[in-house]
Amino acid sequence: MKTLKATRDQIRQHNRQLLLRAVYTGLADNRAALAAETGLAKPTVSDMIGELIEDGLLEESGRGESTDSGGKRPTLIRFVPNARQVIGVSLDNGRAFAVLSNLAGQIIAQHYDELDNAQGVEAVEILTDVINGLVAQLDAPLLCIGVGVPGVVDVANEVITDSPPLGWSNYALGKQLNMQYRVPVYTGNSAELTALAQYAFGLENDDESTSLVTVLVTNSVEVGITLDGTAYHQGGDISGLANGEHERLDHLLGWKAVQARVDELRAQYSQTWLPQDELTYMHIHYAAVNGDALALALCDELSTHLAQMMAWIVGLLRPNHVSLAGPIVNLGETFLEQVVAKVEPLLWEKILSPVTFSLAYSGNLSAIGAAALALHRELDIL
Amino acid sequence: MSASAKRTIHIFTNFPTAVFQRDVIAGAREICDSRGYTVEVVEISEPLNLLIRVDKLPAGGLVITGVLPDSTLQMLHEHGMPLSLVSHQIAGGHIPAVMPNNRQGIAMLMEHLVVQHGRRKPVFIQGYATQTDGIQRLTAFQQEVMRYNLKVPPEFYLPGEFTPEIAAASMEAFLDTDPDFDAVVAADYLMAEAAMRVIKARGRRVPEDVAVVGFGDAPEAAQAGLTTVAADVKELGRRAARQLIGQIEGLRIRGLTLLSTELIERETTRRPINVAK
Repeated sequence: MKTLKATRDQIRQHNRQLLLRAVYTGLADNRAALAAETGLAKPTVSDMIGELIEDGLLEESGRGESTDSGGKRPTLIRFVPNARQVIGVSLDNGRAFAVLSNLAGQIIAQHYDELDNAQGVEAVEILTDVINGLVAQLDAPLLCIGVGVPGVVDVANEVITDSPPLGWSNYALGKQLNMQYRVPVYTGNSAELTALAQYAFGLENDDESTSLVTVLVTNSVEVGITLDGTAYHQGGDISGLANGEHERLDHLLGWKAVQARVDELRAQYSQTWLPQDELTYMHIHYAAVNGDALALALCDELSTHLAQMMAWIVGLLRPNHVSLAGPIVNLGETFLEQVVAKVEPLLWEKILSPVTFSLAYSGNLSAIGAAALALHRELDIL
Repeated sequence: MSASAKRTIHIFTNFPTAVFQRDVIAGAREICDSRGYTVEVVEISEPLNLLIRVDKLPAGGLVITGVLPDSTLQMLHEHGMPLSLVSHQIAGGHIPAVMPNNRQGIAMLMEHLVVQHGRRKPVFIQGYATQTDGIQRLTAFQQEVMRYNLKVPPEFYLPGEFTPEIAAASMEAFLDTDPDFDAVVAADYLMAEAAMRVIKARGRRVPEDVAVVGFGDAPEAAQAGLTTVAADVKELGRRAARQLIGQIEGLRIRGLTLLSTELIERETTRRPINVAK
């Protein structure tokens, strides 16, 4: 049997992350306490802390209280959130949307451009032009980049296995961007990263769920899963799943399909208030709450499709929270209530009653999640 | 092109001393000074007095709002001149730009009025119908009207053109119709202040009868006790200068840098509302 030995560099990196996380989370704030908390030898801690201070990630911040035995007052150490910056980008919903954050996840700037249905090399060029928009805004050295894409991502190898909207298949995006920007690049599925952002920075309704499923509906349908704070990387794009004997999920729920369905329904509901041009989910919401028959029929259909899918997700994964994300959230709380009401008859009450549901209103969660992923993978914080 | 020309950035504007333009220029200067670039402010009045020769282009141009025609901007972009547009966008043109997050700002103001203060009958004072900020703030207001299922009749959309005098005149004419409204959302804080003065002069109480809010912030807004969403205009200039210098130094950039806004609650919404209304 072949055994795997950690290299000296790997051990060093692991110890570095261990110490950094201990300071970041407030577990310890001086060298002696760090040695006690992490189990590392005091000279190792001293060397590593010296290195982290030299790198600017930690700084000394005065003297603490002396111990009960009257020992020397320890030198306090604190994390420097602005020592480095991180870029997170998402490529969903027809846009390349990027955020620049510091090491505490605080957003400093945002930059985006439309993808204009670009695929292949053209989509990569738009992605790098958008990243460059934030490279120009850097106030500190760039630590790493995270990228979220719709589709299936091989996270371990940083390869986009299949992203139909972007025309990428078995594409080593991380490697290419790493060569260009000379920093580590981490990739993940958009919905997984949305779930990670909600976990790392809290749900908008202050729910402290640790087991969370995010259903992201854009032109595709994706599921992100965070179980006990760890993104589970086999979820991803479920657009191709057929809903019973009907069509693929993206042909029922994706925004292009919704627009096409509105046009079909116009023949039946000619009095509709919905505009012909520049239709948004907000128009559908407004029309539905004001009794527009087409909008009501559409919301009924969409809630039925979503309920079927959510019942499967809840039944299989038993999360304590399910969050709906993407522009579809503009259909509002009434729509969510409609979905939940249709989930109820599909599941045993015992399974459903502990589960809460919410809408994720923030439009840039997957970009924030991409930054969180990069931070987590690079420094093991957040 | 001489070495000094390579390090000179042109800022194109129509009113360099107006509050917005002055602050953008100040922010851009800060960054240019620290990065070793000199700034030349080019004032463009009507009719267009700028003749640009494509063989003598400056190192880069920072263009405040729509002071140059889109066709000229597109031509300069195609000739490889680095550009950064401030509060202006060219549809489909992909010229880098910096803008306040208008959608977020208006959404914050509306949530504040509707959710926190129970106002359901807002009036909107518009900016320019052809300028990007004006269009985006109007669209954002309409989206929020739908989100909260409000009924805002067409006559509740008042012309303002980012000009306090026009906003005041519009409010005077509106009040002549004895309308039933409980809030004013203005596309900028100067118009909000002007409208508020008229509302008070006509005997309606602020905020008990009418809550007033505006986009953007400045000491004048604080002095008037106006609730606003602050969009740091100097920061807009700083970000635009960084975007421009990034391009001059070799970065290929496309798209829009967005600046976040922050709600600042003051007296024009702070007091308890008149629940009997």
